[in-house]
Amino acid sequence: MSVKILQEAGKRDLLMGNEAIARGAVEAGVQLMAAYPGTPSSEIGEVLFEAAPESDFYVEWSVNEKVAFEVAAGASFVGARTMVAMKNAGLNVAMDTFMTLPYGGIKGGMVVVVADDPDAHYSSNEQDTRFAASYAEIPCFEPENQQEAKDMAREAFTLSEEVGLPVFLRSVSRISHASGDVLFDQCEKTRNNLAFNKHYKLPYRWNVYGPPGAISKHAWLHDVLPQVQSLANKSPYNSTLKPEGAKTGIIASGLAAAYAREALSRLGLSDEVAFLKLGFIYPLPDELVSSFFDGLDQVIMIEEGDPVVENMVRSLAKEVAPLVKISGKSYNPIFNPYGELNTDIVTDALADVFGMELAADDKEKVREEKASLVVPRSSTLCAGCSHLGSYAALKKALQRYPEDEVHIINGDIGCYEQAGYGIFASGNLASDADSMAFKPDSPYDMLDTIYVMGSGISMAHGQNKVGYKDGKVVAVCGDSTLFHGILPALMNIVYNQSDITFLILDNRWTCMTGHQPNPNTGYDVYGDEYPRADIPSIVQAMGIKSVRTVDAYDQEEAEEAISEALDYEGPAVVILEGECQLQKQRRVKKSLAKTYISVNECDGCKSCVQLGCPAIMFDITEKKSRIDNVLCVDCGLCMQNCPNDAIKMRRR
Amino acid sequence: MERNVIVAGIGGQGSILASHLIAEATIKTHDDKYNIRVGETFGAAQRGGAVASHVRIGETVYSPLVGKGKADLILALEPLEGLRVGVPYLSAEGMVIINTKMEIPVDVKVGAVEYPALEDIVGSMDDIGEKVITIDGSRIAATAGSSKVLSVVMLGAAFASGLIPVAEDIMLDVITQKVPPKTVEMNMKAFEMGKEAYFAAADNKELAG
Repeated sequence: MSVKILQEAGKRDLLMGNEAIARGAVEAGVQLMAAYPGTPSSEIGEVLFEAAPESDFYVEWSVNEKVAFEVAAGASFVGARTMVAMKNAGLNVAMDTFMTLPYGGIKGGMVVVVADDPDAHYSSNEQDTRFAASYAEIPCFEPENQQEAKDMAREAFTLSEEVGLPVFLRSVSRISHASGDVLFDQCEKTRNNLAFNKHYKLPYRWNVYGPPGAISKHAWLHDVLPQVQSLANKSPYNSTLKPEGAKTGIIASGLAAAYAREALSRLGLSDEVAFLKLGFIYPLPDELVSSFFDGLDQVIMIEEGDPVVENMVRSLAKEVAPLVKISGKSYNPIFNPYGELNTDIVTDALADVFGMELAADDKEKVREEKASLVVPRSSTLCAGCSHLGSYAALKKALQRYPEDEVHIINGDIGCYEQAGYGIFASGNLASDADSMAFKPDSPYDMLDTIYVMGSGISMAHGQNKVGYKDGKVVAVCGDSTLFHGILPALMNIVYNQSDITFLILDNRWTCMTGHQPNPNTGYDVYGDEYPRADIPSIVQAMGIKSVRTVDAYDQEEAEEAISEALDYEGPAVVILEGECQLQKQRRVKKSLAKTYISVNECDGCKSCVQLGCPAIMFDITEKKSRIDNVLCVDCGLCMQNCPNDAIKMRRR
Repeated sequence: MERNVIVAGIGGQGSILASHLIAEATIKTHDDKYNIRVGETFGAAQRGGAVASHVRIGETVYSPLVGKGKADLILALEPLEGLRVGVPYLSAEGMVIINTKMEIPVDVKVGAVEYPALEDIVGSMDDIGEKVITIDGSRIAATAGSSKVLSVVMLGAAFASGLIPVAEDIMLDVITQKVPPKTVEMNMKAFEMGKEAYFAAADNKELAG
């Protein structure tokens, strides 16, 4: 099959926002792209990998976003057009270099794509990274739709070279993961020449510390910004529509402009309200916004995320149009400064502002009544997932200690974080005493803390060093997370002599973001074999004395190894191996499972249900468990966890 | 013209594929006449979680999500998922096509909640919208050759409803390009059988009603 993003100019096709951004990079003649997978940004790298064999650029999955950012920056120094892509939280990892790079500028066009996640569909937080673009003082684009996502991605390279700064392209989940019709343009055939200039424009341009020092380089950045601002004022991505006599205006940026347009159309106000759509949002196009204020009494700010544009507009208005009333998310709020927008929310808010009555939904009562029929469909770990085995073994190992001990299990980011989702918990607040006495039933109640990639191990270390003695202190992480951000923290627990138990749940792939390979996978991105990183040796070389590697599906050995680590004085690591079942099952032809539960021997104790495997079903009328032989992968975990030996495997 | 379609199902059933097939066939039928948007939710899709994929077609369509109460057609690859999406999104004039094969959520499997009765799901959709068509899509898919062609069976039914503004030959072309080459014949059969199932169900409904 031909590669979708490599179709010829003039074609119109449906592209996901991330595909559109990748196409924009291809049109611009990108020479290097680096990324760490992070939903909702991962497909940018994935489709560029797909396109790479037929194109002339380099793509890599770096081990984390900071590394990816530096790879792209270094390549830009020698003149190449480069792109780096990440999710919102990924930028926090890259932040150190991100903040300093603009002082020296870049040479080859460098585009930093960050996919934010308003409503936190796939993220720990809702951070608005447009703040980071203004924090680092670099130009920021914000697309309204997939066509703009492509066009802006391409344009960002040109702008970057014109002003000598990296350009920030801020997407959101509903751009990156939504699709729209996109018209393809020509692809740049020539590539930037690679050359290195030691004294490019400024003395010691590539070294902020060197004379004339960081301050003069910051001053250089401020010399460039007015030029960037004048480009923002002229940008085709910023446009004004001003019907005669309009007293109210809307300033909407990025995707929010789409919601605003639709809401105005629903309310029949499209021809009565002034509309300023912003796509090149930083530096704020000051002249454009100033002239937009002319003749208006009030301006409504609509944007996805925090009031970033709003606060810039407010500070400009104070100087040029102090009497215009501004509403949005900060003062006179008409929108929540959290969650995401949609056309319904914007329509309601605008109807309020204009004092309009929306037509009532005469089905409202029926909808409310029928909503009670809808039961949840919680996400779980997959049938036969090795993490189910790791958590079951951890639970049993902890049960060896006195009942009143309060163990702390610090989690991390990956599929295994679902062990903190508490999907079977009631959701009610517990008293302190109840909360401390809580013992998890299923793996989904195991994790006590989950923050960001690599954070669990050091949180555990802090709990241990401050003298927490009420129970064991444990941290878990996955293999991709280990390489992403754990290695320095691992060195830290050795050097500072921690007494924690650290479990590495090794399933060989970066699964949650779509099964990207990582140094531990054993395959490269094209499926060719590649030597696996040797995790046990890495851990030992750092100085950890207690290291055991076990099969997560061997429950007895896994429980034994975890117990030994919990009892060990000093930092102890257990590596629990078991390849992701989805990846494993792709390589074998799946037939119906052979595992079954003997009805006569099952006493309905639910030990198997507590394993948390979605292939196990409890029949409430019969009071017995059953196995779904389509989902089941015959991993054997439930057999080992049944106290009555009622779970068996058919011989066939 | 504005047409809002939501394909509801669980991860792995092909709801995203179905919505993309509709959107791509619309672009190829009408070129730049309409704006097309598809809003997707991934996340837990691969692990059997709920997936709803919104397809929007129209001259003044800008947002990737269908508004509440504005879905003209809901294609339910699974009954509970049809209900989940139908309750808030189905328009009073809208139609729902339901595959009657239930996929039991883990919350029901552990005994925490009960799966609603199929007739309650159908009744609710009937109360909110204009027309409900039920077909045994999973059985039809198996007859066509594989449970994997369920989404194309349902697409055939959706096409038969007349609510998707695409030309049939273009729809079949897009399916042919998008599915694995070895499965083209099976998918063509699935589409045809889905169409027939829709007409049969609609006829029955007319006779009964």
